[in-house]
Amino acid sequence: MKEDIQAVNQQNAFEKVVEFVDERVGLKTIQAKMLNEPIPGGSRWAYAFGSVLLFIFILQVVTGILLMFYYVPSTDHAYASTQYIIHEVDYGWFLLSYHFWGSSAMVVMVFAHMSQVFLWGAYKKPRELIWLVGLALFGIVMGFGFTGYLLPWDQRAYWATVVGVEIMDKTPLVGDFLARFLKGGPTPGQMTLSRFFVIHVMVLPAALAGLAGLHIFLFRKAGPAGPFRGTPEEIKAKTDYFFPRQIWKDIVAMATVFLIICSLAFIEPVVLLEQATPDPGDYHPEPEWYFLFLFQLLRLKIFGGQFGQFLGAIAIPGAFMAFLAALPFLDTKPERNIFKRPVALIGWTVIMIFILVFTVSAIINREFLH
Amino acid sequence: MSNTKLGLLVFWPTFWTGFPIKLVFALLLLAAHMHPWEGTGLYLLLLVSIPVDIWALGLCARTVLIDRLKVDPQPGIGLNLWGRWAVFSAVVLPVIAMVVSVVTEAAKSVVASMTESFKEHIFPALPVAEQISLELVMWGSVASVALIVCILGWLYGLGWLAQPFVKNAKPLDGTRDDQADFWDRLRIPADQPLLLTAFTGVGVVLVFIFWGLMPATTPHPHAEYEYTFEKKEVKIVEPKKVLKETEQVLAKAELVVKKLQDEKGENQEKPAAKIETTTEEKQKK
Repeated sequence: MKEDIQAVNQQNAFEKVVEFVDERVGLKTIQAKMLNEPIPGGSRWAYAFGSVLLFIFILQVVTGILLMFYYVPSTDHAYASTQYIIHEVDYGWFLLSYHFWGSSAMVVMVFAHMSQVFLWGAYKKPRELIWLVGLALFGIVMGFGFTGYLLPWDQRAYWATVVGVEIMDKTPLVGDFLARFLKGGPTPGQMTLSRFFVIHVMVLPAALAGLAGLHIFLFRKAGPAGPFRGTPEEIKAKTDYFFPRQIWKDIVAMATVFLIICSLAFIEPVVLLEQATPDPGDYHPEPEWYFLFLFQLLRLKIFGGQFGQFLGAIAIPGAFMAFLAALPFLDTKPERNIFKRPVALIGWTVIMIFILVFTVSAIINREFLH
Repeated sequence: MSNTKLGLLVFWPTFWTGFPIKLVFALLLLAAHMHPWEGTGLYLLLLVSIPVDIWALGLCARTVLIDRLKVDPQPGIGLNLWGRWAVFSAVVLPVIAMVVSVVTEAAKSVVASMTESFKEHIFPALPVAEQISLELVMWGSVASVALIVCILGWLYGLGWLAQPFVKNAKPLDGTRDDQADFWDRLRIPADQPLLLTAFTGVGVVLVFIFWGLMPATTPHPHAEYEYTFEKKEVKIVEPKKVLKETEQVLAKAELVVKKLQDEKGENQEKPAAKIETTTEEKQKK
């Protein structure tokens, strides 16, 4: 008892504050739970994608809130307020450009994270639910990109939305309702902008925060999958804790991504086109770069006509997403080594080449149109 | 271990170790309105990259040798290997760039003539989108193979340059756990709080420099940007003045109308009373 009192007296002010909070919140337990997560096989750079995604999302929220201080979501003022942010607000051009490139970085990171989980076979039992929630998060990130694109209310924003909503309209059963709900009228106008804004700043962030929490909870429940090579004894021998090595790798990866986004904001800052009008003029409507491969696919002759457009825009992507959702239940073999899963490796490679070829083709096609 | 594999194992972590540090410097240059890809900015970046690369190469090469080959190299591997690799790269990289460029241009040319011939003799109605993708796949495959082969050759060179360091290195004794402990002791600093404090301090200083250098507001950094939004002049409406002006305009209009009707009446010999009535009706309207 006497020793305890002596120990408390020897604590400095900071330690006393920590002690006070710990007694009431259980700080040390939380800290131990978060930092002492065992990582079978040791830390790896490949495991940093999830942490980086969370980091980008937090910064998107911060920059998004700062932009909302100035942005006015009305068709009369959206364009002018965005121009105001770019030209008048202190560091406004940087915040907007960071937010713009941050959204692209999120898509890239989601893609990298999903690829890593797929190649590592980390979607297999008992991690099926983590994979499914991850797919839903992928959809939300795409939704962020689609709804945020309209907000500056320039020609690019307007026509990308027109094309996107038209594609959505082709979905059986719910397509018509979704298109009418999003547009709120026969052509994109105030109702469209209001709805996209609310979905972008209220609905999707809430959904993403909830699902990301569930994703992390399920991940902690099942534990990390670890490397796909090596005997259980070898993997166990190399087991590391989240702190300090994985944390260090995560911090370096976050800093690198942050610096890349900042550099892109400097090199290619957001540049608005003319204010949105229902007349495209010389402008060739085009979606955001990560939808370009799909856009180029729809230009192929085979996907011409009503049925072809439905096939290319809805049926094939829909079937692919359904396949991804069913993947953990179709691929039930315990083998996780990607080099012993030739179908998975070839399939992934073919999809990567397909996306790359069609994205570059869309860029060449753009030059051809100009 | 083959030269190519050794080269790849050393190069990959070296690139990612040095890249974030170079990126920090490049970002500071951008914030100071200096392009790191041309002129003074490029020279400064290259200058900073030299010590960063020497350090990163030394650290990563030593890691690979200890972790994968179970040997501890002689001190100074970073500087020695970097010097040799820099000379080798100065010769090989321009050759690689030239080879890839020539192969790509040749492939593009051959593919274009093949497509033209295909359109002329077999399928004249080949759509644009299909043509673009087909051509891209054909010349892109050739260019990619050329690029991969050249890069593997370059990495082979790095592995070949690193082999003497492997031969002269001291073998590591002890069990696997002993070796892991040895490597852990090498890379984990004795005073971790000091390292963390120094790291945070450097970060804070860099943040201050970044925000200090960056322009607070206009001009927009994009040189070709057109500012299309123009501020409208705010006009203050004075109701009495506006009413007076409107009355004057109406009075003038009335006089003009009356004059026109008078002229018309003279020509057609119509009564003036009718014209007055019409003017009154118009005023009411």
